[in-house]
Amino acid sequence: MFVCLCTGVTSHVVNDVVANGAKTSKQITEACGAGGECGRCRRTLRAMIEAHFNVNGCAPEKLSH
Amino acid sequence: MSEFDLHSLILACDFRVDDVDQMWKWLKKHRDPLSSIGAHHVVLYTSIWEPGRVLVTIGIRQAGSIRDVLRSPAIFEWFDISGADDIPPIFGGEVVEKIDLYGPTPEEHVGRVVVGVMSSVDDVSALMEKVHDGIERFKRGGVRKIWVYQALDDGREVMILQEIADELSARDWIDHPDAAAEWMSNAGLGAYPTQFVGSFAHLMSIDEQV
Repeated sequence: MFVCLCTGVTSHVVNDVVANGAKTSKQITEACGAGGECGRCRRTLRAMIEAHFNVNGCAPEKLSH
Repeated sequence: MSEFDLHSLILACDFRVDDVDQMWKWLKKHRDPLSSIGAHHVVLYTSIWEPGRVLVTIGIRQAGSIRDVLRSPAIFEWFDISGADDIPPIFGGEVVEKIDLYGPTPEEHVGRVVVGVMSSVDDVSALMEKVHDGIERFKRGGVRKIWVYQALDDGREVMILQEIADELSARDWIDHPDAAAEWMSNAGLGAYPTQFVGSFAHLMSIDEQV
């Protein structure tokens, strides 16, 4: 799935970034660029962070924009 | 579900809007931007169980780069017109196979109940073998068509559109999917939307821009 249309970043890349420790959409942007331009994919980025931590049975320290 | 060019790129997204009919009226007035990116058809399915939820597929004739298509102003304008502030994840892929369990249907045919799933599987080729081996079971479950698309950005990612005889069969299918329907297990995880159960609402043909 293409998550960030501005940069062409896919869910595969975002999942890797989250698995490597990103806990906020800002951290995802810093790691791969997703969400850094128009910002209209940030809701999806946050949902992916939440889903990752739900699947792994713990909560991120904080979920922020 | 209706028949279109088997070799074209398909974009698909699942999102929510406040007013589906109003959205469609606006979109019909803005065909030119879609034509500029090579779109030939837009199909809109509306959810049966979740008001405002839609599944949209856009068939595109030829695309040099899917990323160029996705970042084009036409796509952003399309979401603006749809009234979607947040842009949902978009599936971009090509058809693997369109299996019609009861023989070909006329071009103008549109599906009854459509179950749409975006998901990942272990191996698309192995999946297709399992699907073909399970055709009779699928029939018994009320499945009439199975359209399989494979993502361009991830060879394990698929979108499956199934036409199912009626809503009751669709519910049974979701509650107890066939073992061959591997795609059902990852729906709703991460960027993947939950299973979409809807019906055909609108089709828009877009003339080729000369």
